[in-house]
Amino acid sequence: MLRLLKIEWLKVRRYRAFILLSAIFAVSMVGLNYIVYIQVGRLGDMTAQYGGPEGAGLGGMLLGHPFAFPKVWQTVTYLSSFLLFIPGLVIILLTANEYGFKTHRQAVIDGLSRRQFMGTKIGVVLVTSLCITLIAVVTASVFASAGSPGFTLAGARYIGYFFIQAVSYMSVALVLVLFFKRSGIAIGVYFLYVFIIKNLLALLLNYKVYDGLGNYLPVKSADLLIPAPTSLGRMFTFNNPDTTAMLIASIVWIAVLLWYCTYRFEKSDL
Amino acid sequence: MSVLSVEHISKSYRTVRALRDVTFRVPRGSVFGILGPNGSGKTTLLGIVTGVLNADAGSFTMFGDTLTPAHELRKRTGTLLETPNFYHYLSAYDNLVITSEIKGKGRDGIDEILRKVGLHERRDSKFSTFSLGMKQRLGIAAALLGDAELLILDEPTNGLDPEGIAEIRSLIKELGAAGHTIVMASHLLDEVEKVCTHVAILKKGELLAAGSADEIMTEGDIVELSAADTDSLYDLLCRHFPGQKLTRDGETVRLYFPGGGTDTAALNELCHSQGIVLTRLLLRRQSLESMFLELVSNPTNGR
Repeated sequence: MLRLLKIEWLKVRRYRAFILLSAIFAVSMVGLNYIVYIQVGRLGDMTAQYGGPEGAGLGGMLLGHPFAFPKVWQTVTYLSSFLLFIPGLVIILLTANEYGFKTHRQAVIDGLSRRQFMGTKIGVVLVTSLCITLIAVVTASVFASAGSPGFTLAGARYIGYFFIQAVSYMSVALVLVLFFKRSGIAIGVYFLYVFIIKNLLALLLNYKVYDGLGNYLPVKSADLLIPAPTSLGRMFTFNNPDTTAMLIASIVWIAVLLWYCTYRFEKSDL
Repeated sequence: MSVLSVEHISKSYRTVRALRDVTFRVPRGSVFGILGPNGSGKTTLLGIVTGVLNADAGSFTMFGDTLTPAHELRKRTGTLLETPNFYHYLSAYDNLVITSEIKGKGRDGIDEILRKVGLHERRDSKFSTFSLGMKQRLGIAAALLGDAELLILDEPTNGLDPEGIAEIRSLIKELGAAGHTIVMASHLLDEVEKVCTHVAILKKGELLAAGSADEIMTEGDIVELSAADTDSLYDLLCRHFPGQKLTRDGETVRLYFPGGGTDTAALNELCHSQGIVLTRLLLRRQSLESMFLELVSNPTNGR
């Protein structure tokens, strides 16, 4: 597998679109967190201005010390998850390239089994998710350490949830590009799902059919693993889904989607 | 020992029967040509053998090895199927690096092979900047990587100018002489004739013939005769060689000898003894092209 992942690296390291999108994603992740960090800081300053040092504490408490340990794990992963569509986009681009260039055919001809080829793509999803999670960990550590010293791994379960969320986003992307084979339509359907349909369907199912049912949709269940960290944010969510159920649902969806990818690629004519 | 053995392979695409119970063997060290008109199933057959397509029925064996998984055996082959498939944004060199990594071979031979196909000067150019001929050459280069035992080439001269075609022809001959086995699908019958030791002919998914080139191409000799009195010549030959194919084309009469070994001196003597003076007597081995066209056209015509 390591050898095969090395081959994937050889493919992308000279691909400008990949390098650009990866850089954009990394910068956006840090940038987004930084924006909110500054705003929280400003809010704290404002309440301090009117309420003295106690006011700063008040402003801080209203927002729940989002960038301090241990809450920072949840904050950074929550904010960063809004950007997880970008890695999905990259997966679609890279895989659609293989179809477009017909290099998926050539790889099999040259000596990869169908299972190895698809397994490598799944490996890429996992490795990418690891890297993304690492960026989140470093970002969170840096922001939190700057403010209040005292590194703690309490609340670090959100790091694990984030990893699962990243894998979920990319798994859906992989299924779609395998199905449509063309980047344009795969990206369109992907964006449609993660931005609109997922949320719309979840709402409809929750309020028209059965409360909590909509939480079990693919990617939605992963989203709900990391709820908004501030009490302010929590005021706008109306349901509190059971984390264990969401965890199981997310993992099941990942397994189903990735199994389907492998099965379909093994059986089809290339 | 057969390098490739195909047994009763069938494949349909929905309603189209692409291959119908095809069976043949490719002997080690042969240059094996697969001929057929467009749509005869050549590429489908090669697609099945290289793992790209799934056969509906039948099986095939590579290197006589039924234990090792097919994809591992494919690493011992070099294939160019339909079109050369490479990453457009990578250079020729980088593309070949990827191919050699997949095959598990080293990168040492890459420069040498690029020189061999005449692409060494463009080794760092992106594949997207290549002309059709250059893309084809890179495809052949990829097939040559790692000194493959079995080469599978689908229309290798596609897109090449006459100089390129000649180069490929000599390359194939060289490889054949060096002991590699080559399976080549082609439309260019005279190329196949010059290079192949064995031939299989497909039409509409069915195997019409398979065997050594000598067997198949010596369907016989054709003797072309002309005489002042064409009618008498024709009648004489008709009487003297009953059951043999005899055609008449204006002033030329053609007499077919399946199995060859024609004695033209005896023919000359025969005509002379019957008072027919020949103005032309020409012995020609039936070319692959004429035989191919014959086999491929409606069998009820001509025979």
